[in-house]
Amino acid sequence: MSEPSQILVELVGKLPNPDEQGMLSNIDKQAVEDIIAEIHKGGRDSIIGLIDMLVEPGKGDDVKPRYALHCLAVYVCKLQDKNLQRAFARTLASQLGGDRPKAVQGYIIRQLQVAGGKEVAPALGKALCDEELCEYAAQAIAAISDGAAEQLRAALPKATGKCRLNIVQNLGVVRDTKAVSVLKQAAGDTDRNIRLAAIWALANIGDAGSVDVLIKAADTQDAYERIKTTQACLLLAEKLVAANYKSEAARIYTYLRNSRTDPSESYVRDAADSALAAANKRQ
Amino acid sequence: MADQRPATKNRKEHIVRKSKLASRREFLRKSIGAAAAFTIVPRHVLGGPNDTPPSETFGGALIGCGGRGQGTFGAMGLDAKLLASCDVKFLNRADNKTIYTDFRRVLERKDIDVVAIATPPHWHALISIAAMEAGKDVLCEKPMTRFIAEGRAVAEAERRYNRIFQVGTFGRFGERQKPESVLIHKIMKSGLLKKCEAVYLYHGGFKVKEWSGKVNSQPEPVPANLDWDMYVGPSPMKPYHPHRTGGTHRGYWDYEGGGLADMGQHYLDPFQWTYAKDDTSPVEIEAYAPPAHPEACGMWGWVELKYADGMTLVLDSDEWGQGYGRKEARGVSLNDLDEESRKKVEAMPDPEPLISFAEAVKTRKRPGGHAEAAHRCATLLHLANIAIRVGRKIRYDPVKEQITGDEEANRLVNQPMRAPWHL
Repeated sequence: MSEPSQILVELVGKLPNPDEQGMLSNIDKQAVEDIIAEIHKGGRDSIIGLIDMLVEPGKGDDVKPRYALHCLAVYVCKLQDKNLQRAFARTLASQLGGDRPKAVQGYIIRQLQVAGGKEVAPALGKALCDEELCEYAAQAIAAISDGAAEQLRAALPKATGKCRLNIVQNLGVVRDTKAVSVLKQAAGDTDRNIRLAAIWALANIGDAGSVDVLIKAADTQDAYERIKTTQACLLLAEKLVAANYKSEAARIYTYLRNSRTDPSESYVRDAADSALAAANKRQ
Repeated sequence: MADQRPATKNRKEHIVRKSKLASRREFLRKSIGAAAAFTIVPRHVLGGPNDTPPSETFGGALIGCGGRGQGTFGAMGLDAKLLASCDVKFLNRADNKTIYTDFRRVLERKDIDVVAIATPPHWHALISIAAMEAGKDVLCEKPMTRFIAEGRAVAEAERRYNRIFQVGTFGRFGERQKPESVLIHKIMKSGLLKKCEAVYLYHGGFKVKEWSGKVNSQPEPVPANLDWDMYVGPSPMKPYHPHRTGGTHRGYWDYEGGGLADMGQHYLDPFQWTYAKDDTSPVEIEAYAPPAHPEACGMWGWVELKYADGMTLVLDSDEWGQGYGRKEARGVSLNDLDEESRKKVEAMPDPEPLISFAEAVKTRKRPGGHAEAAHRCATLLHLANIAIRVGRKIRYDPVKEQITGDEEANRLVNQPMRAPWHL
């Protein structure tokens, strides 16, 4: 880390101060926009200079550079110049993985969620197994979407704890069909959160080969797990109907109709009945 | 130099209508009046405070017990017995019998029929969905959601499980009682208006400064009674600060969307019903605001939202920058139609009366503030806030519910959640 240039320090210093309540109420739109445009002209050095000014929460005042970096992320999107945007994102990504505080890296990742693209997926992929960064990284890579599946899939075998949970869930978010086999394994995990995330992911992917896995999972007496696996069954069935796998969908609906016989689950039976009737009417 | 304007009281500018919103209290009073009007059978059959038939006894739960909590439970208008109270700040008193910190434990209970949700909005969608998945009916505080995709997911759950969902704002019920609003509703619903030149301006009352976030707060120790991980839930994890909880949560994008999101559903729900926009959303949105902070909601001047039919909706904060001056307010009237169309509209029957939550629960009919309508209204707030946050004009596809031609802005439509939470 080096000392930010005097010009950058002066520009950042001109950004608005929080009012006595800590809010940015005293703010001039044009002045802020001009400052951000000027900072952007400083290129990579200015971006890294801003990052150098960031500190961990509770370790000092970085209100202005924090605001400036976010404004810059929004600004580069507004320019509608993909090369400039990628250059900004690559510079941010280059600051991950080093010895900067994890809270600062987390903030960088959140700015990548604003302005990053496929070019930063590998850098985010490396953060997927970091206990302190994996949540932010998973959210950012899923939001960017392009290039996410490969990174999530590659990180899964190395991940543990909440990193693994976030990866499993986001494989479902990005609907990675290549992850079906590992998700089927995760559906039998001893950790309830992992199980439920994997079952939902399989449903959201709409994999016709996962019907038996989901039906088996839904055959549980744990009240909350039964509710969520039932939801996954209905979700998968809807996706199968939409993809014209009507017989597989019918198996799910029939299972729910026959297994949810307690009066307290009559609404599930009704849902399965009406969905099955609608599916049969579909051409 | 800062662009500042003194805060003013809210006011709507409209050629045709200039009426106040129906308050919750007004709604409840009317609901009670309506219920009384149906009392043509003995009280023990219809039910009452001390004489309720088993078929009309409801087991209720309240999730989110601070702030509006008790009021939201009461707004259900049902003879519901409060069996479970759940709040993430009950760590030191939860017994998992009547007091809970984890809503999932509440939803497992078979004796609970109806759930009132008054948590901060970042939990509204997930708890509403989980409740309907568990077979419960839901009254959920406004704003319905924190981002657009959540609303669609709630509407899908409502449809999939055939449950009752009502958002906790009732302005449309008041509009349905007004002949001038009913007339506009019929004109718009008829599809006979060739080009809609209406401009609906809503000034002030958005509590922009009141519900802004702090940008310089430093982490503080989490109180012993608060489950901070559960409070944060699906949103990005941030260090604890008391301003992020207890009502001032409204000032943070992680939990709500400032005064615009907090008050907007109240203000725009009547507009949306009157102008028959329950099934669509604007296509072009532009905001006048300074660059937004990444975490704290802040200042904005106005937002212009245009519908595909030509209608313009304008929100003017009256609290920052120059006021909106592009267009004058303009209503819709029969004069906008040709003779033949006028006759057709005049011959149209009035829309069906809107059904209250209580009536919907009992009759299994859809309530007035159902999930789709509430979602479309919340979408207005979210689109406005997205335009404020990205600082550029956005275009929206109301069918696909996606921002078009702006991949980065579209990331705010469906924001990935912190596991294990997901839509």
